[in-house]
Amino acid sequence: MADSSPGGYFGRALVIDVSDGSTRVLPLPERVLREHLGGVGLGTWLLTELGPPGVDPLAPEAPIAFVFSPLVGTPLTTSAKFAVVAKSPLTGLLTDALASSHFALSGKLTGHDALVLVGRAAGPTTVAVRGGQVELSDARAEWGASSAQAEASVRARLGGGWQVASIGPAGERGVRYATLSHDGRHAGRGGLGAVLGSKNVKAVAVHATTKVAPADAPGVLAAARDLRTRSLGRATSKVRELGTMANVLAYNALSTLPTRNFSEAVFEGAAALAAEELASAHAVTRASCASCSIGCSHLYRDKGGRSVRMEYQNVSSLGSMCGVSDPEAVLAASSRCDDLGIDTISAGGTIAWAMECAERGLIDAAWLRFGSGAALLRALDEIGTGTGLGPLLSLGSRAAAEVVGGDSLTFAAQVKGLELPGYEPRTMHAMALGMAVNARGADHNRSGAYDADLSGELDRLRGGDAHVRGAVESEDRAAVMDSMILCSFLRGVFDEPFAEWAVLLSLVTGWDVDADELRTTAQRIVLAKRAYNLREGWTPEDDWLPERFLETDLTLASGRTTSLTPQRLRSMILGYYAARGLDGSGRPPSVQT
Amino acid sequence: MLESAGVVLVGGRSSRMGRSKADLDWHGSTMLRRVTGLLQRGVDGPLIVVRAPGQSLPGLPPGVEVVDDPAEGRGPLQGLAVGLAVLQGRARSAFVCATDLPLLHPAFVRRVTRDAGLADVVLPVVGGHRQPLAASYATSLAGAAARLVSEDRLKVGFLFDEATVVRLDEPQLLADPALSAVDPGLASVSGANTVEEYDALHAQPEPEVTVELSGALVAGGLDRGRHTVRASTLGSAAASVSVHLDRHVLAAVNGDQASRDPEFPLVRGDLVTLMSAGAGG
Repeated sequence: MADSSPGGYFGRALVIDVSDGSTRVLPLPERVLREHLGGVGLGTWLLTELGPPGVDPLAPEAPIAFVFSPLVGTPLTTSAKFAVVAKSPLTGLLTDALASSHFALSGKLTGHDALVLVGRAAGPTTVAVRGGQVELSDARAEWGASSAQAEASVRARLGGGWQVASIGPAGERGVRYATLSHDGRHAGRGGLGAVLGSKNVKAVAVHATTKVAPADAPGVLAAARDLRTRSLGRATSKVRELGTMANVLAYNALSTLPTRNFSEAVFEGAAALAAEELASAHAVTRASCASCSIGCSHLYRDKGGRSVRMEYQNVSSLGSMCGVSDPEAVLAASSRCDDLGIDTISAGGTIAWAMECAERGLIDAAWLRFGSGAALLRALDEIGTGTGLGPLLSLGSRAAAEVVGGDSLTFAAQVKGLELPGYEPRTMHAMALGMAVNARGADHNRSGAYDADLSGELDRLRGGDAHVRGAVESEDRAAVMDSMILCSFLRGVFDEPFAEWAVLLSLVTGWDVDADELRTTAQRIVLAKRAYNLREGWTPEDDWLPERFLETDLTLASGRTTSLTPQRLRSMILGYYAARGLDGSGRPPSVQT
Repeated sequence: MLESAGVVLVGGRSSRMGRSKADLDWHGSTMLRRVTGLLQRGVDGPLIVVRAPGQSLPGLPPGVEVVDDPAEGRGPLQGLAVGLAVLQGRARSAFVCATDLPLLHPAFVRRVTRDAGLADVVLPVVGGHRQPLAASYATSLAGAAARLVSEDRLKVGFLFDEATVVRLDEPQLLADPALSAVDPGLASVSGANTVEEYDALHAQPEPEVTVELSGALVAGGLDRGRHTVRASTLGSAAASVSVHLDRHVLAAVNGDQASRDPEFPLVRGDLVTLMSAGAGG
């Protein structure tokens, strides 16, 4: 720990120009750390400070930040996470994604709270950071490899003690929803892999050289023991026992499983893709990220015997969204996405959109039909190789719809260019609001407003003031959890989240933080993202949902028809703006248009 | 503007029952809680309970609005006028019912409100009797209803003279397969006006519903298969498969509402899916 820094921090970021390997240390004043914490909060601050306004996300001068948090390195369960923050090539706005495991630990213990990459290397490059020393090396041997292969190769080349985050071939090719991965976990959304690829950086390797101490080590240890015990309770039993795949049947029963590009919300093939079925037919093992007691990852074997990490979002995006109920096809598609290094949600969403285009005659591709596993896999292959429809689909659904034209944009299921995750907005009105207004786009991580919809305490089909409160609360909680950082799967174990998080943060940093301060911090982080987006060209029309959700009713299994009218959505958005202290156009009052 | 809302009239004197009908037990819940919950399941707009001034009410589902009659003892037309007035500008029509219809089925409500666009009033006729307190009214009738009350013309029937009315007889109602499948006898309009009527309705077998378990509840050792049980409430259905509705459990009813409210009313034909709470991923 730097002498003047609070516990858990080094008080500095390392800015690396990958054009020549030069570096500079950026001091991070305590005020900045306390106001933005770490993770996505600090990342937003760094991007605002270091990113030239209006920069092309794939330009050399566009920064990409790997940001750690005060909790990384403590024994607090699920704290070994890092955020990656950049301007998204998919949305043109801010994107931030979390990944987990040893890269977070070693990255922070290089002695920095963040590593920021700018510039563009002359050719395929690995950036290796050991303490303050940075070495660029030739990555031509890894170019074209999957992220997992590249990770193994770089580690073998560099030797013991290195942790590696890498992109796959899609990031090299500039697919706008390419991921960045480490240890099988992905910073998945918004095209961070394409940003790294635009810098000709295949991999970033980190090596620990120092230690960091919390302010109250015994206190943190006691809190960690308590949190670990609670993490094994009923609040996490769903993800521990079945993983997020447990949502498949549950969401189908709730009429909220996106089906055939959101034309329906109940999938007749859901049972074949459910965790309960797959677990018996495809031997499953569990895995955990580093420093995690929950172990939500469930790995299934495909017919070739290969382990595939499956999540609910894979199944909803590559399965029901594409009308594919063949589990082998969905397992293979998930595996293909991992190999290519692409976001399963955006990949599935874009392919489902293309399937609808093909069925409507807007795209000339007779092979591309809902329900075809072969078509799904071919589309992924073409995205990976840049052949056939690949260049079009690599743009994501919004930009591709602008190319295809017709009315295809009305059924491109995206917000701000980011494809919707596996939640039907017409049956989850709080989530509909959350996805409409969130800075990152259609987002289920920075806005977990589905918690409100499924709380049983409001009518999820009649959005109103309670839904606004739920969406705001969800964003605030995520802003703190994603900045401290703790895994969102822990959120159910906290009875008084802000107060309990304040205690943890105080133990680590030595600050006297309370719940009110953390609530203020959450609001600050949410608004900082909005301010960044405003600077980069956000307009009020970006806080909206596609026509499909506002003009087409859904029939539920009960026989009841439900809808989300534009008036209801507008009313909720205005309520959200008011709750955030924004004017009626979503801008802070001081911002002039 | 939404198509259909709901109004429950609870301000009557219950003189033939001899006590407040709203508070009467209904298999672990109350008559009012049950009827408001059933009506909520059948309409897509707000739900209003109109009570006598200051009347004490049992617990209600979340989101229900309570308004007062301006005066006591003026009959259902006054309550109807108040309820419709509250809904003007918020919904085109409202299904209006009394609190003594514990067998009201959401499918009946949906069938009646489906025709709301055809006339000001959609009036079921069952067993040769008009059912003005299980009918749909345009909210635009609020003014006419209030005027009739001010003129001491307190029968709901007077409103029909000033409105367009579509009558739905039994064959028309039962032509709807969704309704005929779950309420072939049109028990939806069976009222409990007296102790004897209440006892007779209460003695009927509780509705037959299907319960299934998913997710970690199954992994926890409970039987995943579908169970056919008799239960009037969600809490009772869950208990029948040894599940306690706490914050870790959520129920979906027919893919419609998500609830963990033990008093959530169930009706014949319901499919209840019990799952682990906690969304995300």
